[in-house]
Amino acid sequence: MSGVVNDVTRTAHSGATPVVPVLSLRDLVVEFGTPLGVVRAVDGMTYDVVGGETLGVVGETGSGKSVSVLAALGLLSSPNLRRVTGQAVLGDVDLLALPQPELRRRLGRDVAVIFQDAISALNPVQRVGQQIAEALRVHDRALSAAAARARVVELLGMVGVPHPATRYDQYPHQFSGGMCQRVMIAMAIANRPKVLIADEPTTALDVSVQAQILDLLRVARQETGAGVVLITHDLGVVAETADRVGVTYGGRIVESGDVTQIFTRPRHPYTAALLGALPRLDSASHRLLPIPGQPPDPSEPPPGCAFAPRCPISRGRTVCTEVRPEPVATGGGASACHFPDEAASLLAAKPDDDSEPDSEPAVEPRDEPADAVLDVRDAVARFPVRSGVFARASAWVHAVDGVSLRVPAGRTLGLVGESGCGKTTLARLVLRLVEPTAGKILVDGDDVGRAGRSQLRRIRRRAQMVFQDPYASLNPRLSVGDNVAEPLRLQGVPQGQRRSQVAELFTRVGLRTEHADRLPAEFSGGQRQRVAIARALASRPGLLILDEPVSALDVSVQAQVLNLLADLQRETAMAYLFVSHDLAVIRQVADEVAVMYLGRIVESGSVRRVYEDPRHPYTRALLASVPVPDPVGRAGRQRVPLGGDVPSPVNPPSGCRFRTRCPIATDLCAEEEPPLRLVAGGHTACHFAERTAGQVLEARS
Amino acid sequence: MYGHLVRRLLQFAVVLLLGSVAVWGFTFALPGDPATVLLGPNATAAELAATRARLGLDESFAGQYLSWVGHAVTGDLGASYYSGRPVVSELLDRIPATVQLAGVAMFLTLVIAVPVGITVALRPYSVAGRVLQGYLTAGLAVPTFWLGLLLIIVLAVQLRWLPASSDYVPLWEDPGGALTATILPAVAIAVHTSSVTARFLATSLGEVMGKDYIRTARAKGVPERDVIRRHALRNASLPTVTIVGLQLGTFLGGTVVIEAVFNYPGLGRLLYTAIGERDYALVQGGVLFVVATFLLLNLLVDVFYAVLDPRIRLT
Repeated sequence: MSGVVNDVTRTAHSGATPVVPVLSLRDLVVEFGTPLGVVRAVDGMTYDVVGGETLGVVGETGSGKSVSVLAALGLLSSPNLRRVTGQAVLGDVDLLALPQPELRRRLGRDVAVIFQDAISALNPVQRVGQQIAEALRVHDRALSAAAARARVVELLGMVGVPHPATRYDQYPHQFSGGMCQRVMIAMAIANRPKVLIADEPTTALDVSVQAQILDLLRVARQETGAGVVLITHDLGVVAETADRVGVTYGGRIVESGDVTQIFTRPRHPYTAALLGALPRLDSASHRLLPIPGQPPDPSEPPPGCAFAPRCPISRGRTVCTEVRPEPVATGGGASACHFPDEAASLLAAKPDDDSEPDSEPAVEPRDEPADAVLDVRDAVARFPVRSGVFARASAWVHAVDGVSLRVPAGRTLGLVGESGCGKTTLARLVLRLVEPTAGKILVDGDDVGRAGRSQLRRIRRRAQMVFQDPYASLNPRLSVGDNVAEPLRLQGVPQGQRRSQVAELFTRVGLRTEHADRLPAEFSGGQRQRVAIARALASRPGLLILDEPVSALDVSVQAQVLNLLADLQRETAMAYLFVSHDLAVIRQVADEVAVMYLGRIVESGSVRRVYEDPRHPYTRALLASVPVPDPVGRAGRQRVPLGGDVPSPVNPPSGCRFRTRCPIATDLCAEEEPPLRLVAGGHTACHFAERTAGQVLEARS
Repeated sequence: MYGHLVRRLLQFAVVLLLGSVAVWGFTFALPGDPATVLLGPNATAAELAATRARLGLDESFAGQYLSWVGHAVTGDLGASYYSGRPVVSELLDRIPATVQLAGVAMFLTLVIAVPVGITVALRPYSVAGRVLQGYLTAGLAVPTFWLGLLLIIVLAVQLRWLPASSDYVPLWEDPGGALTATILPAVAIAVHTSSVTARFLATSLGEVMGKDYIRTARAKGVPERDVIRRHALRNASLPTVTIVGLQLGTFLGGTVVIEAVFNYPGLGRLLYTAIGERDYALVQGGVLFVVATFLLLNLLVDVFYAVLDPRIRLT
């Protein structure tokens, strides 16, 4: 098995000299002890990285992509870790065979890690510069404090931290998420390691910052000549940055190969299915192709192929359910599938569904103005910032600052923006979970802001919310059935009727009715989100507010939930307010889109107008920042990532709020706030909306 | 940081004022008039009236409070009903003894709690870890006074190594004698408080060891010893500082029971006796001192927090 993957490495780098990998994982197995028995989280992970290349390791939650590498470096500290076997060869030593002090001598020097969620990966009580300096001094005892400081300041400048000498003495909480990730990268490249491991380096970041960090990772690779292992769940990130790709499933690599090949001619059905389940930014697809079922349970690995129960080509063939396929070199890559040729035909067989979704008869034609189920007019939400001795409000956070929008029945308004833009606050305003400061919010013509207690309760029955985190939004002590029945109970539906209605709701969202007595903890994320949707449907609402409903879900499960929402809307003509940071998801689900920036809508219109003819520089920059899951032609793609972070909503910039990051801003933008006005069939709040069409925005230097 | 501290200081003043009202009010809510207690059951009405006038008990409620607070601000807490000496001198006589006992007890608490807490957090399944976990449970369960009595019986009465009843010997005059006198009550106190402190430290250290930044430190190649020393302990010490501050407050307020068991001439015993004798002036003054000490320690804990945690200092 290892031999095959080695061959892959060599074929991918068929240079004159044989390529020696800088890091090789060989048959890595990681097991945890749990009350339910031994869980094999990693089951024979094998891959190589050579210097100067980026290997993308892509897979869904629980596929073993992170655990394997952490185990290889001895960084798994979980007390229930039972066993780590196999080899992790760095240069010419097996890391797993080293005693801890010896291993530590190599960590940070020969192999460095960039972790996800950089803010919590930095020590909150230590100066940022000292934390980087520690990485230097721990491997070079002779290095003086002054020399270390000078080198750290240089490193901070290299990774794009402004004012590095001042920033050296600051603490992590004074840095934004993107800046913290830059610090992590500086720390990782400090000793010019041979291997850089980036574990979901951009996962918690906004797209515009993600684009900056991905660029920086490229610089870091060039700077150090290291081999990079980029671990991610995001196919777009892989397509954008990797040279070679390993796809993980069930604790091992099921397919590996050159990045272009993986994305255009996958040889494993899982890879193909994953690509089919992915909402695309670059093309509107009528319907996603979800992967049925759930990821495998690592405590009961199937004897055959781990993907067989969900596989579209296995069709219950005995060889798939009984014999575990080993990776076989095939056409420049390796695929652990018994029928790689059939897998290859999967992507091509994908139905040509680029037809317009509007062809559905259940949806009213666009030009007929339907009554708005939700009508928001100039909504404002401000929160006080308290400071000083008497905790008086010294400033206000303008979370939502004069937003108007309408959602008619049977349609979806996608609300998109980066973190801190006020989109979640706006969603909460609709149900008055946040008190509005000003403006009017009408649900079916009823004023939410003026409603009394009982009227508000009636409004909330008609407008239901589905929250982002299905792990936190269900009461863990109530069975899922009781969770769903709660709204019915509050309406005074008698118990007998409740049971039958819950059963009906379960069927509608694709849950098995006999599972109603189980607790939420027994369900996976996707199933829990179905429960949350069933709960929202219980009171037969006319409006669903979906606050990042699929952000916590894996791609294959996300597609299931998105399709479910689409089906439900077609059946009941519910209006959706769909809040998401994910532009591709919004493109998939929405009819109309509103782009928010610092509490205001900067652009709105039909999906086609906003995605294909964006006029606001912010929308354009966002769309350009999203990594496209298509490696073909990535070199030629125009990409000018937005600089900096979203400014604080406490003191938003004067005039146009986007001007501080805008590549085309002029003095006019600082003086006059552009109104949201009709431009090319949509609404854009930019002074230069007519001029931005089609042109590539060049950053002014 | 400064805003934070100024706010805390103002809170300190307000709470102290409210505390003084409560202290003063509660003693008057107690049954029995000091004059009756002083003069005994056979006193005549005229004698009672004269004594009340002498003690200021015939003034209005508010008037009594205001004059008491007014004097208290200038450092005059009145005179003890019994001895007639100023309350401040009575307190000052006992405070050094209490401070010394508190200091020794706190020293022992930390000396025991820090290594025990670290061991229990880092090696919970080792032999030492299991034994020390047993100590933590036992230390919490054993009543302090009972442990005190046990120590007296074994070490003082049977083995005759240490005195059964402790006098106050100033540490700077006779360190050996001072230690001999305070070690038994200090151990009796420290067994309990060290269990509480070690438990806090173990819990927060265990939590911190699972944090992402600990993993980062390891990934940098920092040896495990330094990971704990430089990264884990400082973060884990924050909740522990709170509990240590509270404990020190209790110590300085006088460990009434232990001082009674060891017949130690501290603040606790003074207050204990004063309550029995209905020496209101002494009780009020003493409790006010205890309240002020507690508040002051809380303030110090806040300052210390800010020193340890830049997130508090810089916002």
